[in-house]
Amino acid sequence: MATIAHPVREGIRGPNIASADVQLPAVRDYEQVDREIIATLGFTKKWFMGLSLAILAMLCGACAWMYQIYWGLGQAGYEPPVMWGNYIITFVFWVGIGHAGTLISAILYLFRAGFRTSIYRAAEAMTVFAVMTAGMFPIIHIGRPWKFFWLLPYPNWRLLFPNFKSPLVWDVFAISTYLTISTTFLFIGLIPDFAVLRDKETNPTRKRVYSILSLGWRNSDREWRHFAKAYLFLAAFSTPLVLSVHSVVSFDFAMALTPGWHASIFPPYFVAGAIFSGFAMVWTIAIPMRKWFKLEHYITLNHLDATAKVVLFTSMVVGCAYMIEFFIAWYSGVRPEQEFFWNRVFGQWWWAAWIMLLCNMALPMSLWSQKLRRNPAWLFILSIFINIGMWFERFVIVVPSLSHEFEPWQWGSYTPSWIDMAFLVGSFGWFFMWFLLFVKQMPVMAIMELKEIVTPRFKKAHDHGGHH
Amino acid sequence: MQGVLGVFHHLDATVDAIKDLKTKRLGDVTVYSPTIRHELDDAIDGPNSVVRRFTLIGGLLGVSFGYWVAIWSSEYWPLVTGGKAIASWIPYTIIGFEVMVLVGALSTVAGMFINSRIPRLTSTTGYDDRFSSGHFGVFIACDTAKATQAEQLLRQHGAEEVRREA
Repeated sequence: MATIAHPVREGIRGPNIASADVQLPAVRDYEQVDREIIATLGFTKKWFMGLSLAILAMLCGACAWMYQIYWGLGQAGYEPPVMWGNYIITFVFWVGIGHAGTLISAILYLFRAGFRTSIYRAAEAMTVFAVMTAGMFPIIHIGRPWKFFWLLPYPNWRLLFPNFKSPLVWDVFAISTYLTISTTFLFIGLIPDFAVLRDKETNPTRKRVYSILSLGWRNSDREWRHFAKAYLFLAAFSTPLVLSVHSVVSFDFAMALTPGWHASIFPPYFVAGAIFSGFAMVWTIAIPMRKWFKLEHYITLNHLDATAKVVLFTSMVVGCAYMIEFFIAWYSGVRPEQEFFWNRVFGQWWWAAWIMLLCNMALPMSLWSQKLRRNPAWLFILSIFINIGMWFERFVIVVPSLSHEFEPWQWGSYTPSWIDMAFLVGSFGWFFMWFLLFVKQMPVMAIMELKEIVTPRFKKAHDHGGHH
Repeated sequence: MQGVLGVFHHLDATVDAIKDLKTKRLGDVTVYSPTIRHELDDAIDGPNSVVRRFTLIGGLLGVSFGYWVAIWSSEYWPLVTGGKAIASWIPYTIIGFEVMVLVGALSTVAGMFINSRIPRLTSTTGYDDRFSSGHFGVFIACDTAKATQAEQLLRQHGAEEVRREA
């Protein structure tokens, strides 16, 4: 399943893109993989502190939700004509974050990109939790969350069904399918690893739990044969799904006759942005993880270098999309469109647009330097800037468009309320709570795939005095 | 199921043992390995997985259902929206595609479970905890008459441990 390539040396000066297909020279045998990955499951004080902080942040969001349910949607910062605000911005932000996981686990698997092996499990888990987070926001946004099931085509006595021509219904199908498939993909990959934990575990309760989760997996040739085929097909299904989901999210905007939204560039622009922000979030979680769990020899500088090139490329695609939007507004000769784009960078929301341009276009250009691509501290800092920049990108798409439509009497403003901010903080708490719970219950790296990279023991080499 | 189990620590020794056992036709061979190894696949030379049929059938059912539910519900309550035809196949392709992926992927997983015979509630004869870690296992399902020959063959190929399973 994993790709085996020629080993490459570690260090500040590293390989070029052709050899980004990295090996793990410091990992010597299968037992070492088991030992070191299982060691990450031990609870620590730092982990408890992190989890407590995440739960606290999540409770901020939960309290805000209860307050909003009691007092109504008017408590959010909506002001006509801006009736999409923080909830939709944060929804698109989290859906975008959720893209890198399946991209890494499915698309890079089909392309046989070896650097995915060490990071894909964490990225997949990140995807599931990010989509879970994103999925809450449309429900929060509808104001009466208990009515959300009206979006589903369930049999009912009135024989009323949702409007299948509406992008909002496409969203429901796309995101629920994506969440289901991402979760399935994550779980299928975990089954052989659960079997490892089951066989190694000494605590009877945990052993029983892992026994149930492993579904009686026995590592037989029959199981591996069907597993490999199923994994391949799941990857093949997930690949167009990844591209379709953010395209469908972009249709929420592109199908509307609103300046700045009604553009055919939106699907590829959104997909590139999603991959860009998703990879940034992978850095945000993987760089501290490799340090705290002492996994530097699994997520090596070569891995970070390879991911940095993806970020650099997607940053340029996103930057190109920004420029094309401005060009088309000028070239079209449509005055509301031109005024809107002038307003985007020099009008009421100029600061948001410049934060977006700085974080998403300018700062990632530092990755042309190999030295910085192989500097984990810089990559972590850059990932925070990109996360901020990508949230502001969605702000720039949503708020300036709605506050500056065709006629001056339609123009308005938007100020997020404390409820909006509490939801934003709560969403990060919710996401990190799930992720922190995940890393201490399940292997954060795919044990089975790491073993594919590690050279097994050979009798012939052993007989002739070789290492293996 | 009774038979003989050989526990190996070396991949090439396991491959040699499998090839020899297949040549001698001592019984059905089951191989256990901590991960997928193409050397083992080549030696076992097993049949192609039929999971792909589940994928195909699931995908076709999914896409049919996706289009059907959108078209049927639109025709049942015909209301023109956005100036589009009542049954508009272009927007409905999104529904068809998403449901195809959903049902196709879930059918693939079902195919894998059915063919791998999981979830399994009982323990398997011939399994050893070491097979999920760093060892390879070769189990030959055979009667007592052939067991001695199988034991000899496994030892000859360097099995660390050979034992009879019942």
